[in-house]
Amino acid sequence: MKGAIIRLGLLVMLLAGISRVQEWRVDTGNSVMLAAGALLLCGLFAGKVAKGVGLPRLTGYLLVGVVVGPYALGFIPGEGVKGLELVKGLAVSLIALVAGTELHLGLIRRVGTKVALLCTAVCGVTFAVCFGALFALRPLLPFLASMTVPQALATSALVSTVVVSFSPTVTIAIVQETSARGPFTEFLMALVIIGDLFVMVAFALAAGVTRASFGGGFDLKGLLGGVGWELFGSVGVGALLAVAMLIYMRRVNRELPLFLVALCFAAAEGGARLHLSPLLVSLSAGALIANLDERESQRIHHAIQMAGLPVFALFFAAAGAGLKLSTLVTVGPAALLLVALRALAIHQSCRRFAPVEDPRLRRYLWMGLISQAGVTFGLAALISRTFPSFGPQVEVLIVAMITTHELVGPVLTRRALERSGEARGDERPQTA
Amino acid sequence: MQALLVFLAIAALSLLASSRILLDPSRLPGVAQLAASGLTFLVFGILLGPGLVGVLSPVDLQGLLPVVSLGLGTAGVILGLNLEPRLLRRLPRPVFFAALAHSGVAFLFVAVPLSGAMLVTTRLPFAAVVGGAALLGAAASLSSGHFAVMGYRSGRMERSRGLAVALLTMLDDGVGLMVLALALVLGAGASVAEGVGLVALALLLGVMCGALIAFLTYALKDVAELTAVMLGGVALVGGAAAYLRVSALLAGVACGATLALVGGRAVEQVARALGRFERPTYLMMVFLAGCFVQARDVDAWVLLPGYVALRFLGKVWGGSLAQRFAANTLDLPSQLGFALIAQGGLALCLVVQYLLLVPGPLSQHIFDVVALGAVVNEVLASRAFRQVLDPHRRAREGTA
Repeated sequence: MKGAIIRLGLLVMLLAGISRVQEWRVDTGNSVMLAAGALLLCGLFAGKVAKGVGLPRLTGYLLVGVVVGPYALGFIPGEGVKGLELVKGLAVSLIALVAGTELHLGLIRRVGTKVALLCTAVCGVTFAVCFGALFALRPLLPFLASMTVPQALATSALVSTVVVSFSPTVTIAIVQETSARGPFTEFLMALVIIGDLFVMVAFALAAGVTRASFGGGFDLKGLLGGVGWELFGSVGVGALLAVAMLIYMRRVNRELPLFLVALCFAAAEGGARLHLSPLLVSLSAGALIANLDERESQRIHHAIQMAGLPVFALFFAAAGAGLKLSTLVTVGPAALLLVALRALAIHQSCRRFAPVEDPRLRRYLWMGLISQAGVTFGLAALISRTFPSFGPQVEVLIVAMITTHELVGPVLTRRALERSGEARGDERPQTA
Repeated sequence: MQALLVFLAIAALSLLASSRILLDPSRLPGVAQLAASGLTFLVFGILLGPGLVGVLSPVDLQGLLPVVSLGLGTAGVILGLNLEPRLLRRLPRPVFFAALAHSGVAFLFVAVPLSGAMLVTTRLPFAAVVGGAALLGAAASLSSGHFAVMGYRSGRMERSRGLAVALLTMLDDGVGLMVLALALVLGAGASVAEGVGLVALALLLGVMCGALIAFLTYALKDVAELTAVMLGGVALVGGAAAYLRVSALLAGVACGATLALVGGRAVEQVARALGRFERPTYLMMVFLAGCFVQARDVDAWVLLPGYVALRFLGKVWGGSLAQRFAANTLDLPSQLGFALIAQGGLALCLVVQYLLLVPGPLSQHIFDVVALGAVVNEVLASRAFRQVLDPHRRAREGTA
C-alpha cells in the first residue's frame, strides 16, 4: 500500500505542475483527454490505497476524483470533467451489457416474482417515507414553501421518486470487484435493476402530475406512450443491438473490442437522444445474447471484462470529480435527514418483506440498496430542465444526497456481499 | 452527436475493412492494399468530412480533438518505445548513414523544388513557404516498412532482407520529427524563443510522464493493470500536451524514449499492453485525419502530382545511395528505393500536429497534399514493391 500512496502522490504532484504551467500558458487547449488520463491513473492507485485500508476500490476512485477535481484542488478543469460525459454513457452501456449477459431465463424464472414483489414493497415504503418527510419539511425548503398544497404534494411526489432510485452501476461494479456469486448476489442485482425500472415509470407519472398541477395539463395518453416507449422501445432497440452483435461475431469477427465499444457508444448516445434508457437497451441486448448464444455471450463478457478496470476507474473517478461538495454545506441538513430516512425505510422494508427462506436477505440486503449514481443524477438534471422555476434547487438537494450516498453506498454494498458469504475477495484484479 | 457519428462510422468501417472481399488481393488489389494498411479509413474520412460530403461539420471535428490528441500521443509513445538505446548503440554507423541517405534525398527532392513552386503560386512570406515546403519534405522522407514485414512473413522475401528494409524505414522517423520540431519552433509561438520554449515544454512533459509511467508500472504484474496504466499514461501525456497546446506527438516520443531508457523489464510488457490499442487508435486517427482534408483544395491537387513524383524519384535515388552506404552491413535488395515508397501513418501524424498547432491556409494546404499523397503512395508502393521481391519467388508468384 505504501507504494500505491507514493505513486498516487507523484501523480498528484505532476497534475499540480501541469496546472501551474497552465497559468503561464493562458490560452489553453482542450482538457478532456488530460482529465481522462489523470482520473484513470489517479483512480487506479487510489483504488489500491482504498483496498489497502479495507474499503472498496470504488470508494477510492470516487474520493480521488473529488480531491483532484474542479471542486476541491482544481487540478482537473471543470470542462475536462464535463467532456467525460460521453465516457460515462459508454461505461454505463458496457457495464449494463456485461450485467445483461448474466440474466439467464432460468434466473428470472427462479427469482423474478419474489424480486418484483420485494421491489414494490421497498420502493413503496421508501417513497411513502420520503414523500411524507418532504411535505413535512415544506416550510424549511425554499422551493416548496412558496407552492400551493397540491403543487407541493405533486413536487414532493416527484422528488421522492428520484430519492427512491438505486444504482445498478455501483452494485454491478462491486459485484465484479468482489467476484461475488450466488443467490444473494443474483437477488441484489435483479432488485436494483428492476427497482430502476419502477423508478423510471413512477418518475414519468409524477412528472405528468406535477406538470398538470402547475397548469400544464394532464396528458395521460402521452404519458403512458412515453413510458411505454422508454421501456418497450429500449427492449426493442436492445434486441436489434443483440442481433447486430451476433451477426458481426459470426460473420466478421475482427476488431471485436472496437466494434463493441462503438456499438455501446451508439446505444448510449442514440438511446439518450431517442428518449430510451441506455441502461435498459444494453441490458436487454446482453440478456438476449446470453439466452440465444451462450458461447458468444461468454466472449462478450470476457472482452468487456478485460476492459473493466479502466472503465470502472475512469467512470467512478469522473463521477467523484463531478460531485459538488459545496452543495452539502447549503442544503446539508435537509439532505442528510432524507438520507437517514431513506436508509431507515429501505432497512425496515427489507427486514419486513424480504423472502424468509434466505435469512441473509432480511439481514444484509438493505446495505446493497443504499448507493445512488448515474440514474439519479440523470433524473435530477431532468427535473432541473423540465421545471426551471424550482428544478435547479431540487437538483442541488438531490446532488447533495448522491454525494453522501456515493461515499457510503459502495462500502455498504461490499459489506453486504461479504457478510452474505458470497464475496470471493479481490482475486481478480483485472476487474474493478 | 459528433462523437456518435464518428463511432458509428468507425464501426461501419471496421466492418468494411474486415470484409473478406475487400481484403482479397486477387479481386481488388488496390483497395485490398488500402484496406490492409488502414488507409481506407483515410479515404472514408475524406468523404465524410466537412471538406466533401459534410456528414461531420467543422464544429464536430473541434469536439473530436481530444481523440486526435490521444492518437498523436499513442503514435509518439510507440515511436519512442522503438528507440531502444541498447539496440541503437549496437547498430553500425553505415546503417545510420543509409537511413539518412534515403530520407535526406527524398527530403531535398521534395522540399527544394516545391518551395520554389509554392513561392511562385502563393503570395506568402518566404520564411513561411520554406517552412511549409520543409514539412512536405519531412513527410516525404518517411517510409513505412509494412510491405517488407508482410513480404518476409509471407515468405516472398528473405527474412534478413525484409528486416533490413524495415530497420531502415524505422530509422528515418528521426528526420521527420526533427523537421516538425523545427517547424514548431518557427511557427507555434509568437517568437522563436517562445517556439523553443514550447518544444522544450513538450519534451519535458514527455520525459516526466515517461519516468512516472516507468515508476507506476515498476511493480505491476497484472496484465489488466498494466494495460490500464499504459492507457492512462498515454491519455495523460497526449491530453496534457493538448491542454498546454504543445506537441502531443513530440511529448509522446519523449515519453516513450524515456520509458525505453529507464523502464527496465517492464518496457516489453508496456509495449505489449500498448500494442492492444495500437490498431484501433491508428484507425481512428487515420479516419479523423481524413476528416480534416479539404478535398476541394485545388492548389493541393495541383501540387499533388509533383509531390508524389519527386518523392518517388527521391526514394529511388536515395535508396541506391543508401545501398552503397550499407551494402557491407545489411542484406538489402538490389532496387531498395522501390521498397521505400509506402509512407505510413507517421507522415499523417506530422502534418495533423502541424495543422493543429500552427493553423492557417498554408498548413491546411500542406496537410491536404500529404494526406492525398499518402493514398497515392500506398497504391504505387504495392506495385513498386514487387520489383524488390526475390527474383525466383517473383517468378513463382507470376506463374501462380
